[in-house]
Amino acid sequence: MDVVTVNILDSTMVSICREMGIVLMKTAYSTIFSEALDFTCGLANLNGDMLAVADYCPSQIGGMPLLVKSCLREIPTWEIEEGDIILHNDPYRGGLHTPEHTFFKPIFMDRELMGFAVAIGHIQEVGGMVPGGFCGEATEIFHEGIRVPPVKIKKGGKDNVEVWKLLLANVRTPRANYGDLRALIAAVDLGESRTLQVIKKYGKSVFSEASRDLLDYSERRMRAELEAIPDGIYGFRDYIESDGVDEDRTYVIEVEVHKFGSEIVIDYSGSSTQAKGPINGTLGVATSAAYNAVLHMTDPSIPRNSGCFRPIRVLAPPGTIVNVDYPGPEVGGNTETHPRIVGTILGAMANAVPNRTMAAEGGTHSNFVFGGVDAETGDFFICYDIAGVGWGGRAFADGNDAVDSINGNCRPTPIEVFETRFPWRVEYLAFDIDSGGAGEFRGGVGYTKQMICLNDEVICSQMTDRHVFAPWGLHGGRTGGLGATLVLKAGTKEWQNMREAYGKKSTSRYSNVRIRKGDRLRLVSPGGGGYGDPGNRQRELIANDIKQGYVSLKGAEKEYGYREA
Amino acid sequence: MRFSENGLYVERYTKCATCGALIYHQEKQQLLTCDGVIYCSQWCIDWKKAREARRSKPQNTTMSLSSQE
Repeated sequence: MDVVTVNILDSTMVSICREMGIVLMKTAYSTIFSEALDFTCGLANLNGDMLAVADYCPSQIGGMPLLVKSCLREIPTWEIEEGDIILHNDPYRGGLHTPEHTFFKPIFMDRELMGFAVAIGHIQEVGGMVPGGFCGEATEIFHEGIRVPPVKIKKGGKDNVEVWKLLLANVRTPRANYGDLRALIAAVDLGESRTLQVIKKYGKSVFSEASRDLLDYSERRMRAELEAIPDGIYGFRDYIESDGVDEDRTYVIEVEVHKFGSEIVIDYSGSSTQAKGPINGTLGVATSAAYNAVLHMTDPSIPRNSGCFRPIRVLAPPGTIVNVDYPGPEVGGNTETHPRIVGTILGAMANAVPNRTMAAEGGTHSNFVFGGVDAETGDFFICYDIAGVGWGGRAFADGNDAVDSINGNCRPTPIEVFETRFPWRVEYLAFDIDSGGAGEFRGGVGYTKQMICLNDEVICSQMTDRHVFAPWGLHGGRTGGLGATLVLKAGTKEWQNMREAYGKKSTSRYSNVRIRKGDRLRLVSPGGGGYGDPGNRQRELIANDIKQGYVSLKGAEKEYGYREA
Repeated sequence: MRFSENGLYVERYTKCATCGALIYHQEKQQLLTCDGVIYCSQWCIDWKKAREARRSKPQNTTMSLSSQE
């Protein structure tokens, strides 16, 4: 097919996916969708190959092909009818973690199945041990909320009421969940109708042929990119500081990247055996993280679809921290282990493609979740709050400041919305000066959010990282700043971490801490590592860093040998 | 992955020892085993053998780094 038609159809399908996301954002009840945009939307062909995707959440983008294919193994296409919508979140069957709910709807034209509209979203409340789904101390999947195998939540256009009842009986906020699930359905409904318009305009045969050619085109472009990388075996290792259960035990993410010709094999076989606590990744996470890293190192203009992924093979041995076996816990794998895997792959490739890799980013979403009963309304509330981090310096620029980690692309909730929806008052929100690792290109800075509890009680849990091992620098760049979570109990004067204040086994992963009215919490996000020798940083850039408040004069003197004129 | 006879629940999750892919029960006839371990393909068996041979020799990666070194 001519490349013009293929490109027009590609752009059209990507626009459909973006519009699906806008519908989801505007119709959802929870801030995790309406503000944080923790979802992604795509279109898939009959095999489950991703044809197009919107640029929302990268972990879900890379996870989409395996998710849809896994569902089609259990509900084959001949059992799917017009108007059906399939729901799935099972981490052991291609899923990413229990909160990630996948919806997909068949697209029928004249009774012929042409493909699927897909929406994946992070449902913020899934039941389990803690409000908000992120139990930092879980030791089995059953602590982490309800697990849904591929089921039809709608059959022939009508609600499957029994499925709805089961789902909503197992969560703390059924009304909000109902609204968010409906928003995901609205997204796939729109994806179906818009795609049908496109098929009507171009015809079934043109649509099918263009879809095939589009996948092949992306594969060719990706292979050409990989050809340009020097062949070799590249290794790197990074660490996760805690699983929230085994005190003071660290876990290794080890990767060997085998690059030969136009193919790449990513082998995680040196990684730790799976943890007792909830930091394990699933096969979906291991696969998605590999795709994410490769996409970061290659031409961003290549259409994002399953064709890009054909030259990439992922080896994630079972029973390891990157491919958890049943019934191991896994909720933090998608948020904490995924970015650590991406960083490890980028670290491995730092000498092979120095212009396309970066130093370590903060590598955590903070994952501060809380819930409770509102003292004024008597209603149960829940929030999944995301924080930005500093990103690593690159060969051509400083790291991004205070943005969501590499697999999220989510937005922190604005303070005005946060304070309106939840019983906290934010007292302080500011960049952390000197938290970006020094380098010729400085790491991005993290930030601190301090807030006071206004409710009688809020039950808090967290799954974060980089309280112990700082984000590493590259090619002589220095490490970025550490993160922290601190509490100042009402009537006291000493800020304490979660070990000191509540006897938790980890400062970064904990569950069901009861914060009382008047207690203060301080969430500090890590900065990014620096890139290149700090001695090579331009003097005017250092002066500007001081002027803008990214670096203190004292820090500039220490890290860069800077002296004011 | 093996389902119960009534198809309502999973009795066992079976994965390839090299790549970790889930192996469905209906594919069991095509399963490959080597030294009592299950693999999804000959490629995965060959890769594991090659990896073991390579790792028995020191310093054979182009670069070996650690974030903490």
